[in-house]
Amino acid sequence: MNTAEIILSIVNIWIMIGGVIAFVFLLFGIDRIDEDARGAYVFRPLLIPGILLIWPMVLWRWLRLEMGTENWARRHKPPRKLHFWVAILFAISIPLIMLLGWSARQTWPESFEPQRISLLQQENVR
Amino acid sequence: MSKSDAPFFVGYLNIPKGLKGFLLKVSLLLFFGFTAGALLAGATQDDPGQAGFRFDFGRQTVEGVIQAKPYPLLHVTKGNERIEIGETLMLTGQGKSGAMASIAALEGTVIEATGILLNRGELRMLQLLGGNRGFKSLETDGPVPASESLGTWRLQGEICDGKCLAGAMQPGRGLAHKACANLCLIGDIPPVFVSSQPIDGEEYFLVGSVEGGSLSAAAYDYVGNFVEIEAALERQGDLMVLKLDPKRIKVIR
Repeated sequence: MNTAEIILSIVNIWIMIGGVIAFVFLLFGIDRIDEDARGAYVFRPLLIPGILLIWPMVLWRWLRLEMGTENWARRHKPPRKLHFWVAILFAISIPLIMLLGWSARQTWPESFEPQRISLLQQENVR
Repeated sequence: MSKSDAPFFVGYLNIPKGLKGFLLKVSLLLFFGFTAGALLAGATQDDPGQAGFRFDFGRQTVEGVIQAKPYPLLHVTKGNERIEIGETLMLTGQGKSGAMASIAALEGTVIEATGILLNRGELRMLQLLGGNRGFKSLETDGPVPASESLGTWRLQGEICDGKCLAGAMQPGRGLAHKACANLCLIGDIPPVFVSSQPIDGEEYFLVGSVEGGSLSAAAYDYVGNFVEIEAALERQGDLMVLKLDPKRIKVIR
């Protein structure tokens, strides 16, 4: 299996797991953790694409709310201490990635002339 | 300046005096910096050239004999003003799907095909209409042109997916297009090798396996890179076809 097929398989598996979680969460789970959602159904299909993508986060939040271990105050406290260093990291890494891309760039072999190495088919010259 | 006197920016209030100069400098730096960055990045990119869907030609309907391997081909037996008799057209389906699944069973029979042409120079492909509207079996057999061996060649160039290269994407080749090209090839869209220089006036070659079937999936990792290959070359109809063993591909510097 080549790299592309491996990545595609991982994406397929991720989406399938997300589909199962979306089904269970939107039919049963959401009513248990969000009283405002009880009796409301039309909006639920709109959540499916998001759940397909971030289902581990949905599972984690669902578990915390079910177990009653949620700390609302802590959750909404922004991680300001990191902002400065993340901004510096972005400012350095974005140009660095572009430079790496340019440095790894290949040159089109326009001067290479095709060479006939045999009059025979490939399997006959091995 | 004590901490309590420090100017504080609030979007809906006037800009504090102490921040005006700073904001002006940052704004100018961002504007000219991003403009220069965008121009620099754009200037380093290759011209994607002229290619695309020929919606301006309208739907094309032609008749021809189906060859299913290495990828679905139509040897035209009844053309129109845009497509001549004797031309060999690569066929593809909609989106990232090839025509293999629907066409394979019709090998050696005559069909009426309807679709939209894509072209980049001499490279032409017909995207069949969706569902059953794209082709109709005429329930007669027809002759598939005999293939003519042209020997084994060492070439340098790039393996691309034929549909994006023919203009479905712009640019439809190169490393930035590798993921899209791989998805197209996984969907059985015909791969095309772009040679550094032409052979007998042809620089685009359909690529299949040594056994005459679809390109081995082991070759997909090389798509989008500039590579050197050794492969047998055949002429099938008016199309050049490479029979490529993935072990005979190497990435060039």
